[in-house]
Amino acid sequence: MKKNQGLATLVNRLLPQSKSTRMAWIAALALSATLILLPWLVKLDAKPHADWQQFLGRFHPLAVHLPIGLLVLLPLLEIAGTFRSALREAAAFVLGLAFAACLLALTLGFLLAFGSGDAGLLVSRHMAGGIALTIGVLLCLLARPWWSAGSVSHVYPLLLTCTLLALVWTADQGGSITHGSNYLTQYMPAALKRIALLGASTPTATSFYTKRISPILDANCVSCHGEAKSQGGLRMDSYALLMQGGKDGPVIVAGSADRSILLQRVTLPPGHKQFMPAEGKPPLRAEEIAWIKAWIQQGASPNSATLAGVAIREEHPDPPLQPVGDYSALLPEIRNMQQSQGEKLIPVSSKPEDGLVLFTVDAPNSFGDAQLARFQKFAPYIVEAELGRTAVTNASFDTLKQFTRLRALHMEETHITGDGLAKLAPLSQLTYINLSGTLVTAASVAPLGAMKNLRHVYLYNTPAQPAPAAEQTSPVTRNAQ
Amino acid sequence: MKQHPLCTDTEHTPNIMDMAVPADVKQQWAALQTRRHFLGRTGKVLGWAAMASLLGDRALRGDAPASNYAQPSTPSGEPPKLPHFAPKAKRAIYLFMSGGPPQIDLLDYKPNLAALYDKDVPDSVRGAQQLTGMTAGQARFPIAPSHWAFKRYGETGTWVSDLLPYTARIVDDLTIIKSTNTEAINHEPAIMLMNTGNMNAGKPCLGAWLSYGLGSMNDNLPTFMVLQSKLNPKENNQPVSSRLWGSGFLSSEYAGVGLRSSGDPVLFLSDPSGVDREVRRKMLDAVNEINRQTSEELGDPETNSRIAQYEMAYRMQTSVPELADLSKEPKSTWDLYGPEAREPGTFAYNCLMARRMAERGVRFTQVYKRGWDVHDNVTGVLPIICQETDRACYALVTDLKQRGLLDDTLVVWAGEFGRTVYSQGGLSKENYGRDHHPRCYTTWMTGGGVRAGITYGETDDYSYNVVKDPVTVRDFNATILDCLGIDHNKLTYKFQGLDQKLTGPVPASVVKGLLA
Repeated sequence: MKKNQGLATLVNRLLPQSKSTRMAWIAALALSATLILLPWLVKLDAKPHADWQQFLGRFHPLAVHLPIGLLVLLPLLEIAGTFRSALREAAAFVLGLAFAACLLALTLGFLLAFGSGDAGLLVSRHMAGGIALTIGVLLCLLARPWWSAGSVSHVYPLLLTCTLLALVWTADQGGSITHGSNYLTQYMPAALKRIALLGASTPTATSFYTKRISPILDANCVSCHGEAKSQGGLRMDSYALLMQGGKDGPVIVAGSADRSILLQRVTLPPGHKQFMPAEGKPPLRAEEIAWIKAWIQQGASPNSATLAGVAIREEHPDPPLQPVGDYSALLPEIRNMQQSQGEKLIPVSSKPEDGLVLFTVDAPNSFGDAQLARFQKFAPYIVEAELGRTAVTNASFDTLKQFTRLRALHMEETHITGDGLAKLAPLSQLTYINLSGTLVTAASVAPLGAMKNLRHVYLYNTPAQPAPAAEQTSPVTRNAQ
Repeated sequence: MKQHPLCTDTEHTPNIMDMAVPADVKQQWAALQTRRHFLGRTGKVLGWAAMASLLGDRALRGDAPASNYAQPSTPSGEPPKLPHFAPKAKRAIYLFMSGGPPQIDLLDYKPNLAALYDKDVPDSVRGAQQLTGMTAGQARFPIAPSHWAFKRYGETGTWVSDLLPYTARIVDDLTIIKSTNTEAINHEPAIMLMNTGNMNAGKPCLGAWLSYGLGSMNDNLPTFMVLQSKLNPKENNQPVSSRLWGSGFLSSEYAGVGLRSSGDPVLFLSDPSGVDREVRRKMLDAVNEINRQTSEELGDPETNSRIAQYEMAYRMQTSVPELADLSKEPKSTWDLYGPEAREPGTFAYNCLMARRMAERGVRFTQVYKRGWDVHDNVTGVLPIICQETDRACYALVTDLKQRGLLDDTLVVWAGEFGRTVYSQGGLSKENYGRDHHPRCYTTWMTGGGVRAGITYGETDDYSYNVVKDPVTVRDFNATILDCLGIDHNKLTYKFQGLDQKLTGPVPASVVKGLLA
């Protein structure tokens, strides 16, 4: 009984009070219905249409960021509004603006998809998301007066939350269309990947196709020729589909690179209308084209592991530079050092966040552990230390372990024996260490093996690695992985 | 001082230096006075006229910036703040193969040519190209296939001529560019273009731009050093001159410093007998004081360059002997570079010196090897040049690599152009000649910044035209600068009203395909 009464009050509260509000509701519901029906009213037929549609449509990627920004701002304003009521008034305005921006982005997006003949799962999902989002914002707009008047307290926050979730999902779909669906996860740390993509097991095949060809296609082609979006009826996300070809027939003719459309299209001059990857995406690298060519030429096999004349060198690109903190307070001291002769700190580049290099080439021969210790206060900003031919000893590791941003450490031709190298273990950024011409031994450098990013270890002319004979020129670069 | 009879000057003219004018105007006035000196004191009227134009309305407004000319070498204002971005290479070694190495006999393998022996190069391939005077009059352009066999080497399976057995061992480390091409067909303009980015003399060379932009890593040795290799009289040696390593309109302190190939590496660097280092120091202090006074009086930036050069020479008195002292090199060094490296001035010796300079913080070392100009007797001369250079190049790259220097050192191997597929003069099964060929030639790089183990660009079946990924000299130089952290469009210097740069006014682009 009581419940019914409550419901009745609620309905009473929600029912439009004035004529103008009622009109607004009717208009909103009509608009929502139109939006929902839009995909059926104007079907995406995967064929390009008028140029003006494409021209306007290409402003969609620009325009979408406006509603995103406004909608993200909205909850912040609402929350901050509890403390400052002026902000809450601003929120109403931002919400209105967001709705207008949503409508604009939606229109342009539709023109883009329709005009350029885009279709596929990703595009439909992105469009559905955009429509749902716009309707959500519209409902928020209508529900907000109840909330601000205090009559119904939970409908608007709930709607807003749902709308924001729809925003995240829609934006993710859109990003996948332009950047490819593995854009966010490509460089995800392996441990995180296992958690995030639980169950999405990768094939263990070691064939040339799996290791070399498939990644090239994934990175460059699949965003338009895949499950989500299959332009020209071509899908390149699996070997079978790739060999099946598109609506113009097969794109790969095993054994004949010249007759394979895929190779033709990627080797056209980049300005050519049919050049692939299309729409100004970067062309394939010469080496990638050479691999594809050789692979097709030698039968386009899904499982042969090697190709004659093609050798792949495993690559382990160095991790990207980590910016160092702000050292502007120390600049006067750094400049003074540069003016005088002796050891000095030089910026890596004109960007301060690239850090500093410690040079000792002009320092007196006596430069040793004590002098190095004076650089402790610069420790977090030094990315490279050139200590070759100085008098530093094993004791220097106690100072060096505090150089947490160190990427390269030169200690060649010093008298260190390597005892205590284990102290450098916390230097997670270290990729390069040069111990050539020192007294390090195989045992004393062993701890370096545990440092994951340390890929370039030089031990030339040390007890750990005696000088090679004249004819033997084994590379000393060692891959730690 | 006795005045010239025509001079109307009195000793009591107002002195600009005492007047309330902006400091930079004073400085420009002082610079003008060098011209005044030249004209004799009669010319001061000209100076005043120029002064008036210099002051202009700025002097009336009095809001001119009070910049001091602490950096006399940069009239464009602030010294460049470089590198623009984190560089992959801190230093570079440029092995310059003067004369034009024949790409067809070295790295640009054209197996189809054997069947075309003594056939004419089709007109469609040659196009309307203007040839040099040396072959333009030839009735025929008979194809001369390479005399040497090629084999595949390394994991990359790169084709290398039998002439380069040592280079063959390092192909996996090289970035081979088959599509380098130039606009010049004769040595002097072509070598100027390669070295300075312009066919006309007077522009700063690559090394000068680097030392201007990046500065020194080492106070005791020059930033930019030049090593010339001894001439071999059996080879056709084209001259190389100091304008190839000159600083052009940049201050002369950025010019390359050459080491002599025999005797003292630097002439008159050692103190004469009876003069000890302390006396030398006192003498230099006195000379510097006089120079400083001259500098204050005239404001000519070259005076400051001179002071800097005296100081550098003083420090080089100890640093150069240490640099050139090879007695501490281990036996493995000699096993690697070969016995020729013991002889000062050979290309092998220079390669070893280049490595030692890299270790000691020299920013840029350019080694010149002349003799590649094989207009005739290719089969007689080419093996000699290859024997002189092949092992040394291999040794340098290998040595840098094993010592951990290749990670941040860029090594460049290049000539000024390539050579023709057709024979200059008579063609026989035993011998042939090759003329200059600018449309395509092969170069290589390795080390910091470039992608190891790739071949970039393709030429047609005659190694005559580039068919894929052309690399112009401008692009080549822009790419080198990029490896050293420099945006070639931003490293500029105002001169003659232009923002001058190494790559010149024609658009150039960094060849991304070459980069690691």
